[in-house]
Amino acid sequence: MNTVACYKITPDNQDVAVAPDGSIDLAHAAMVLGEYDLMAIEEAAKVAEATEGRAVLLTAGGEALGDTKLVKAALSRGASELYSVSDPALADADAFQTATVLAATLGKMEYDLVICGEGSADRYEQQVGSLLGSLLGLPVVNAVSSIEPRDGSVVVERALENEVEVLEVALPAVVSVTTDINLPRIPQLKDILAAGKKPVTTWTLDEVGGLPSACVETVSVKAPGNVERKKVVYESGSAENVGELAANIRASL
Amino acid sequence: MDFKKTEEQELLLESLRTVMERGNFEDYFKECDKNHEYPQKAVDALVEAGFSTLGIPEEHGGTPIDILTQIMVAEEAHALGYPSLCWINFSTEVDDILTFGNEDQQKKVLECALEGRKPFTLGFTEPQAGSDSAAMSTTATKRDGKVYINGNKTFNTSADRAPFMLCVARSGINESPYKDFSMYLFPMDRPGVTIEKLDKIGNNMCGTYEVHLDNVECEETDLVGEECKGFYQLMKNFEVERLTICAANVGMARCAYDEAVRYAGVREQFGKTIGSFQLIQEKIVDMKIKIENMQNMLYKTAWKKMNGESIMIDSSLVKRYTGQAAFEVIDDAMQIMGGIGYTHDCRISRLWRDQRVYRIMAGTEEIMVHTAGRALIKEAQ
Repeated sequence: MNTVACYKITPDNQDVAVAPDGSIDLAHAAMVLGEYDLMAIEEAAKVAEATEGRAVLLTAGGEALGDTKLVKAALSRGASELYSVSDPALADADAFQTATVLAATLGKMEYDLVICGEGSADRYEQQVGSLLGSLLGLPVVNAVSSIEPRDGSVVVERALENEVEVLEVALPAVVSVTTDINLPRIPQLKDILAAGKKPVTTWTLDEVGGLPSACVETVSVKAPGNVERKKVVYESGSAENVGELAANIRASL
Repeated sequence: MDFKKTEEQELLLESLRTVMERGNFEDYFKECDKNHEYPQKAVDALVEAGFSTLGIPEEHGGTPIDILTQIMVAEEAHALGYPSLCWINFSTEVDDILTFGNEDQQKKVLECALEGRKPFTLGFTEPQAGSDSAAMSTTATKRDGKVYINGNKTFNTSADRAPFMLCVARSGINESPYKDFSMYLFPMDRPGVTIEKLDKIGNNMCGTYEVHLDNVECEETDLVGEECKGFYQLMKNFEVERLTICAANVGMARCAYDEAVRYAGVREQFGKTIGSFQLIQEKIVDMKIKIENMQNMLYKTAWKKMNGESIMIDSSLVKRYTGQAAFEVIDDAMQIMGGIGYTHDCRISRLWRDQRVYRIMAGTEEIMVHTAGRALIKEAQ
């Protein structure tokens, strides 16, 4: 089974600073592989290894994609090749734009299963996987917590609020995986060294059909403001206390 | 001059940090230290991530690596709190045996090293022969096609766990001791080998022993390399081993520094953080200078070795300097922590106990003066 894992290069969450006006300061943030995409990469490699297939990687983004260390970081995790679409315009692409570019790129590739992370580590909109499946006209399932390859299909588990849904999905398909689907491997030196020798194909936006207009206009991105602690202590779980707590919550919303 | 790490080095160190983060070993190390137990769980995690195979040739199941990267890895592990004397990479031991040992010896040593198990304890120091290694008196006597080893070795780290001893003994052939030492590799469970644990002040996770060798019967094939060439064979890798020790010094100093400097920024006394007092700032600044100096000196020495230059003098200088500077940094870190630093709750107290021996072992800091001092004067003539 040939798999494709999609990933995004994002600012390292540990380095994200919040300016006094609540805006996000990324000036000193190192760029890293999206932390939720690591599970997608691991699962693509595992499924391919288990089925004697091939796992490849796909990414679309801005100039950060040219960072050879990040390329090696991605390719040291089991996949054998990387396809990337790089253009400064993609750095701030919305979910629809990203999904459109990925879908067009996948049109030039051969695959059975496309695996996305739960959401991007920066915006975490959880849209790209579903949009991608829709644009490709393929079955698409999100919140997947396990994948079992079959002949011509995969059996996936979806962790829902009160139940685990088991679905057999015909291939080709697109899935988004949860963070508990696996524990991503820790690349060893031999993997890191081998990563530098793996093929990388880079396409321009024009080669994959250009960039559609944005659907979403981002007005601002701000961190939630700090709220002073109310310091109200409820002595017991009596009906009166519960009512008081509910009223206080309602009043502060 | 480029001080930047390569991408491969950065990624390898990231992998190491992930192993240590996932393991979250700080409390585990505290328990192991308290109970005098080997930190097997952390060893297993590092071995699983491939760190024991670094520096071992590819044809023997390893991944080749340069000395500088090897040093960076050891340093980083100690900077993340990994306990000293428990390091899981034995590539220099492997190189010794691949160079001088026979096929059977190579197989046995490789098997242990790839699994991160210490293959052998080095039988070198003796009660009467510390810095004065020429005074070694353990003998290897040939009789009826066998070789019998007799003597006492001491300060043998991990003699309880290592399956073999690489024993240096006098062959009784040449008068000059250095031209008379031979090396034998034999199992520690051979009749006549007994061990006695030393009660020391630190490095509790790694046991150190006296080893008594009473008529230990060896085969002639247990000889490693050539008879009477033992001392010179041992010299092949001693400089690199010394640099690994220095890496532990730098790492332990960084570990203590990181904790103390964080604490200085949050601990409040007299209504402000102790980091706002200039006496504390002075300590932090001087600690940082020492760490930078240690690192630069160590990396440069490793770089010289990689480029085929002699590090005969450098390796002594860096051993002396990192041993002393790391001790000073850790001691200052304890001072910044105040009373908490003196408790077992704070890992700086462990570093303070553990690092002290690095000023003594593998060549005392006074012996480093003896070796480098003469060479420097000679060099200037």
